[in-house]
Amino acid sequence: MTSDRRVPRAARRAVPPGLLATPALAWLALFFVAPVGLVFWYSLGRKPGLYQTHANDVLTLDRYREALGDTFLTSFSGTLRIGVTGTALCLAIGLPFAYWLAVKVRPHRRFVVLALVLVPFWTNFLIRTIGWQVVLSPEGFASRAMQSLGLIDAPFSMLFTRGAVLLGVVYNYLPMMILPLYVALDRIDGSLREASNDLGANRWRTALQVTLPLARPGIAAGLLLVFIPLMGDYVTAAVLGGARGNMVGQLVASQFQQAQNWALGSAMAVVLIVVIALTILATAAAGAVCTWLLTHRRRRELAGIAEGSAA
Amino acid sequence: MNHHDHTPRLLAPAARVAGLPRRTFLAGLAAAAGAPLLAACGGSSGSGGSGAAAQLRAYSWSAYDDPKVLAEFTAKHGPKVIVDSYSSNEEMIAKLAAAKGTSGYDIVIPTGVFVPQMAANGLLQELDHGKLPNLANLDKAFQNQEWDEGNKYTVTKYWGTTGFVYDTGVVKRDLKTWDDFFDAAQKEASGKTSLVDDPGEICAMLCFARGWHQSTTDKAQLDQIETFLVDTLAPHIAAFDSSPGSSAIPQGTHVLMHCWNGDARRGILASSEQDRWKWVLPGPKTNLWMDNWAIVKGSANADAAHELINYVLDPAVAIKQVDFVGYGSGVTGSEEEARKLKLGLIDMIFPSAEQVATMYTGVINEGQERRMAIVNKMKAKAGA
Repeated sequence: MTSDRRVPRAARRAVPPGLLATPALAWLALFFVAPVGLVFWYSLGRKPGLYQTHANDVLTLDRYREALGDTFLTSFSGTLRIGVTGTALCLAIGLPFAYWLAVKVRPHRRFVVLALVLVPFWTNFLIRTIGWQVVLSPEGFASRAMQSLGLIDAPFSMLFTRGAVLLGVVYNYLPMMILPLYVALDRIDGSLREASNDLGANRWRTALQVTLPLARPGIAAGLLLVFIPLMGDYVTAAVLGGARGNMVGQLVASQFQQAQNWALGSAMAVVLIVVIALTILATAAAGAVCTWLLTHRRRRELAGIAEGSAA
Repeated sequence: MNHHDHTPRLLAPAARVAGLPRRTFLAGLAAAAGAPLLAACGGSSGSGGSGAAAQLRAYSWSAYDDPKVLAEFTAKHGPKVIVDSYSSNEEMIAKLAAAKGTSGYDIVIPTGVFVPQMAANGLLQELDHGKLPNLANLDKAFQNQEWDEGNKYTVTKYWGTTGFVYDTGVVKRDLKTWDDFFDAAQKEASGKTSLVDDPGEICAMLCFARGWHQSTTDKAQLDQIETFLVDTLAPHIAAFDSSPGSSAIPQGTHVLMHCWNGDARRGILASSEQDRWKWVLPGPKTNLWMDNWAIVKGSANADAAHELINYVLDPAVAIKQVDFVGYGSGVTGSEEEARKLKLGLIDMIFPSAEQVATMYTGVINEGQERRMAIVNKMKAKAGA
C-alpha cells in the first residue's frame, strides 16, 4: 500500500515545474512573439516597388517618420477619444449594475441575470452591429416608432454620428466590463460592509472607502478588457459611424490590404502598440498615485484616532 | 511579387510539406501567421488537375453571381461552387501573392487593368481555349483587350461604370456633372453624402471634372486633388461605402451616393420608392471597367473552372447573371435579350452609345501610393 502511494508521488516530482505552462508559452511564442517580431522587422524595411509589399534590404527608420504624419495623428486622436469615452461610459454603466447584481440580487437569481448579460454574445458581433445600423437608419424601426408616437416629425438620423459610434461601442463592450466587476464585487465579504456600517460610516462612505478599493482589481481588469480591444476595433466605428467613425486601425488595415505597403503598415502597427501601452501605463500610474493619496490620508486619520483613544 | 529573393524558408522543407494535404494545411496556417514566410514553401504546384472536382472555390466581388445560376451549374456539372468575397483588387492580389498557389482558390475575378501585373507575377494560369467552346459567344468588343491580348488569361465577365445616385426629395434640381455632384455634396447633401471606398475612384472624380487623366501621375494635379478632397469635400462626407445598393439606398441612409451602376440599380430596385432615386452618369467623363474570369495558378480544379466559365458564357445563363447583378456581360446579344425580357431599369445596365463614348479605363501606375495616402488623409479629416 505504502509503495503504491509513493509511486505516483515520485512520478509527480519528476515533472519539471514549468511543464504545465509549456502549451501556453509555446502558443504565445508562436502566435504572439513571432508575429509581433515579424511586424517589427518589416517596419524597418521599405516598399521597393509598385508590385512588391516589402523588402528589408535597406534598414531604415523612415517608415516611422511617415507613420507619425498628420494623417496618423488625426486618426489616432479620434480613436483615443472614442476609446476613452467608450471605456468611461462602460464603467459608469457597468459599475452600478455589477454592484446591484453582486449585492442586491438574490443569489439564486444571479445566474439568470448573468445569462441575460451574456445572451448577446451568442450572435456574431458584426451581425449585432449591423442590426443597430438597421435600427438607427432614417427608415428604420427607431425612427418610424418615434414618428408614429409623434415625438419627432421628420425621419431622424442618428446613424453615422459620433453618438451612434459610442452607442455601438458601449453595447458591444459592456459585458466585458460587467463580468470582471461582478466577480470582484461578489468576492467582497458582506460582513466588511456591515462592519463599516457598525463603525459609523454611512452608505456613500462605505461604498467609496470599503467597497470600491476592494473592487480595484476588477475595475482595472474591466478597464483593460474594454480599452485595449476598443482601440484596435474599427469595425463597430466604421459600421455605425461611417466617415465619423474613422479609427486608426482602419489606417493600418488599408496599408496592408489596399496600398500593399507592409513596411508602412507595420510601422503604424508598432507605433499603435507602443502608444496604447504608454496610455495604459500612464493610467495605471495615475491610479496608483490616487490610491496612495487616499490611503496616506486615511492612515493619518487612523493614527490620530489611535492617539486620541490612548490619551 | 518575387518573394523568393528575400524570404527565408521556415517551418519545413518543401519536400516534407508536400507530404501533407498542402492546400488546406498551408492555407490555414498562412491565414494565422506570417503568410509570406510560408509562401516560400509552396514551390510550383501542378496545374490541370482532376475533372471530378467536388467543389470549386471562387474568390470574387460580393454578390457577383446569381446563386440560382451557381446551383444550376452544380446540378448539371457536379462541382459545388463556394464563393468568398473581397472588396478591392489589391486585397485579392495581396492574398494570392502571399499564398503563391496555395490559396485554395480556383477562380478570381480581377479588373482588367490588374491582369498584366497578376500574370507577370505568376498568379494566373493560361486558359485552355479548347475547353471553352462558348468563347465564341463573347462579343468582339470584349475580346483582345490591351491588358490581355488574345484572352490568354481572362474572359470578360461584366463591364460597368461609375456615377452617382441622389434623393430627388432632398436635392430638387438636375445634377448632371461631377461638378454638380461636388456642389450638391457641399449644399443640400452635406453630411449625407457617401463615396465608394476605393482610392482610385475617389481621386478620379476631380480628374473627370477637370479633364485630367483619371490615373494622373502629375504632381501638381495630385496636389490639387489632395487639397480639394481633404479641405473642401471631406467635411461633407458621411461614409465611405462601396455598395450603397445593399442597404443605404433601400434604407434611405444618405442623400447623395457615389456608386457603380449595377450596385445603384440593385439598390433602387430594392427601394420601396423607386421614383425617389435618380441615377446619373456624370459628365464630362467617367470610368469604364471590365471584371474578368481568371483561373488561379496552382488550381487543382482547373477543368471544373473552365467548365464554369464556359457555362456562364451560354447566352441563356449570361442573361440571368446580368439581371441579378445589373452589369452588362460581354456575351453577344445580351443587351437585345435583356430588352426583349424587359429587365427592370435596363438603361442603368446598358448606357447609350453616346454615354459609353464618355467613358475610359484607368491604368495602374506609380500614382497609386499617393492616391492611397490622399484618401487616408481625407478619411482622417472626415472623422475629425
